[in-house]
Amino acid sequence: MVNSNANALGILFPNSYDSLVPELVGERLMASIPFAGRYRMVDFMLSSMVNCGIDNVSLIVRKNYHSLMDHLGSGREWDLTRKNGGLNIVPPFAEKTVKVYNGRVEALSSILDFLKDQKQQYVVMADTNIAANFDFKAMINEHIKSGADVSIAYAKVEIPVSARQSTNISGGLYYTLEVEDGDVKEIYINPKDEGIQNCSMNIYVVGREFLIEQIHDAFVKGYSYFERDIVAPQLDKLKVHGYLFEGYLARISDMKSYFDENMKLLDDKNLDALFSPNPIYTKIRDDNPTRYIQGAVVKNVMAADGCVIEGEVENSVLFRGVKVAKGAIVKNCVLMQDTVIGEGAKVEYLITDKNVTISAGKEVKGTDTFPVYVAKYQVV
Amino acid sequence: MAKEMIAMLLAGGQGSRLYALTQKLAKPAVPFGGKYRIIDFPLSNCVNSGIDTVGILTQYQPLVLNEYIGNGQPWDLDRLYGGVHVLPPYQQASGSDWYKGTANAIYQNISFIERYNPQYVIILSGDQICKQDYSDFLRFHKEKGAEFSVAVMEVPWDEASRFGLMVADENDKITEFQEKPKNPKSNLASMGIYIFNWDILKKYLVEDEADPNSENDFGNNIIPNLLRDGRNMYAYHFDGYWKDVGTISSLWEANMEVLDPEHSGINLFDENWKIYSRNSGMTGHKIGADAVVENSMITDGCRIHGHVKHSILFAGVQVEPGAEVEDAVVMGGTVIKAGAVVKHCIVAENVVIGENAVVGAMPTEGEKGVATIGSGIYIGDGAKIGPNAMVNNNVKGGEEQW
Repeated sequence: MVNSNANALGILFPNSYDSLVPELVGERLMASIPFAGRYRMVDFMLSSMVNCGIDNVSLIVRKNYHSLMDHLGSGREWDLTRKNGGLNIVPPFAEKTVKVYNGRVEALSSILDFLKDQKQQYVVMADTNIAANFDFKAMINEHIKSGADVSIAYAKVEIPVSARQSTNISGGLYYTLEVEDGDVKEIYINPKDEGIQNCSMNIYVVGREFLIEQIHDAFVKGYSYFERDIVAPQLDKLKVHGYLFEGYLARISDMKSYFDENMKLLDDKNLDALFSPNPIYTKIRDDNPTRYIQGAVVKNVMAADGCVIEGEVENSVLFRGVKVAKGAIVKNCVLMQDTVIGEGAKVEYLITDKNVTISAGKEVKGTDTFPVYVAKYQVV
Repeated sequence: MAKEMIAMLLAGGQGSRLYALTQKLAKPAVPFGGKYRIIDFPLSNCVNSGIDTVGILTQYQPLVLNEYIGNGQPWDLDRLYGGVHVLPPYQQASGSDWYKGTANAIYQNISFIERYNPQYVIILSGDQICKQDYSDFLRFHKEKGAEFSVAVMEVPWDEASRFGLMVADENDKITEFQEKPKNPKSNLASMGIYIFNWDILKKYLVEDEADPNSENDFGNNIIPNLLRDGRNMYAYHFDGYWKDVGTISSLWEANMEVLDPEHSGINLFDENWKIYSRNSGMTGHKIGADAVVENSMITDGCRIHGHVKHSILFAGVQVEPGAEVEDAVVMGGTVIKAGAVVKHCIVAENVVIGENAVVGAMPTEGEKGVATIGSGIYIGDGAKIGPNAMVNNNVKGGEEQW
């Protein structure tokens, strides 16, 4: 058979880091947070996998996954409607005695039988809190070349301030790596260091059979976290390779970073970096093109299809179907799909969730460091 | 299982009056309204009316159209039984033939229609911009006990002689048909959309095929024959937006009207009657800090850094700083470089307009032409394209074409 596909299957953890953005995940999970005008967070890793020829992707969901199922459907938009492999959403088994899983070990142990039945030699795993155009094929190739048991992708960035300041681990663990000649020598858990670090992206390549073996052992011992309980303690025994990712990445670590990462895309350089070389796929809504009506004034705006703009918009990201009425002034805002800004309303540093209405004449202003957030379906 | 009504969409037209735009694609595949192609309108109408089986009759330059239609999924027409099918002429045991006329195209696909054993067949035209509920048309057809119905539009009397006209009595029963008459007796213009009882249509198609003198055309042969035999023929009045976009100026005009749906154009902003299309998949469009956008429609993937006024920009159009775009229809992937001036024109897909080039001009007293640039054309830096030009070949920097 012609081998055009990567010899790997993909696993995504759509609930990881949910608790970092409690406002946004009220009725959804990290993976279905709207981002960059017309996408959801999950689109980036999912599309990246598909673009690398990975056509067998499982999403192990934990809770609040209705929005994700609605978004993904049968996976057609990602070309994952396949007879073999394709898209596979794994919800938790609703048994009295089984708790919803905590770490990746428990999550993976729930699909051990599935993993055993697959044919791909490698498994790639990722969370959905990072938006990037990630080349999994390059990482897999480097993994094979290095002869490692596990490869971890990392980027040279600062630890998000919110993570550094947080005192509990309920927000989810994060890791930095000490890398020497491509080998990971040490894994630090929730360090507080300032400045540029080798921050793990929580993207892994492992051999499928190796993974099954490790998960089986770890589950028996009651471990929950893949990094903390499997990889970190065995650094002396295993060959762990660090894969440096040098492309553009947007990491959602709290509300402020959500706002900032959207805003950064107003710079064409960043926008091009995130959306090339490969396309990012998303659910199609069949909106009409965006219409700028006589009197509209727009400066430095990214807008998706389906918007109708009559007022003034500056330095903002508009998702699909946003309406800005006559006389309204919108500055430094992130307005999610189908937000309506009424006539003469003035908004600044505002994040609106889906279907929010700001009534005519109202003023809502946040600040640079603390943007105001309005939840789904609210009317101000 | 029988289908109540299936649609046959005539999409074989060369669209020769669209010149540069239809060099490489059939008229129904011509882009329209920012993200659509003309054929999206009849296809979406079908789906929105509950018709799930559509045969598309193609003949001229079908490649773009074939790829665009694909399995029909964007229109929800990928069905287990039915769905959309592209029907080019094909070889049969008795020989093969191009589609000789509109009626012959249907005649050659009788066996396709019979697979679905329909009661009614609606014949649609692939070159009109129109939102129409065909289920209401069918309701009318059944209520009148018609064997044939045609959708008609009232047109101004002084223009009536340009159309095929239906003369009808007070019950909408058709008594006479006039093809582009000098002295019109009616102002009810045929929209080229027909509903037939399938048994009647089949009988007349077979009869027409046997007539060696026939042009095998619905307007010239089938309808006159139905009238001759005194069949039950009715005219269904339609008063929504309808535009035949067969010429450059009407195509340009229909696009411009989209910018004013409240008054003249087709309303694409209708949640209850969505027009579906194959999506570009591009990311949101971007309006730069120094850009000016006035009264325009902008599609995903556009990058605007110049001045865009009263124009329609399709997916992925780039307008560089200092460029001016006014009253223009600019199709997907076209790049308008710095300082270029693009006015009152249609620019097809993937065109490059060089720095400081001038394309078209705003209309003056004696000059109302719509300049047209064909797809993939390169217009060099500083070149000048006159308002009546029809550009099919690359134009070198500094040259002029009128």
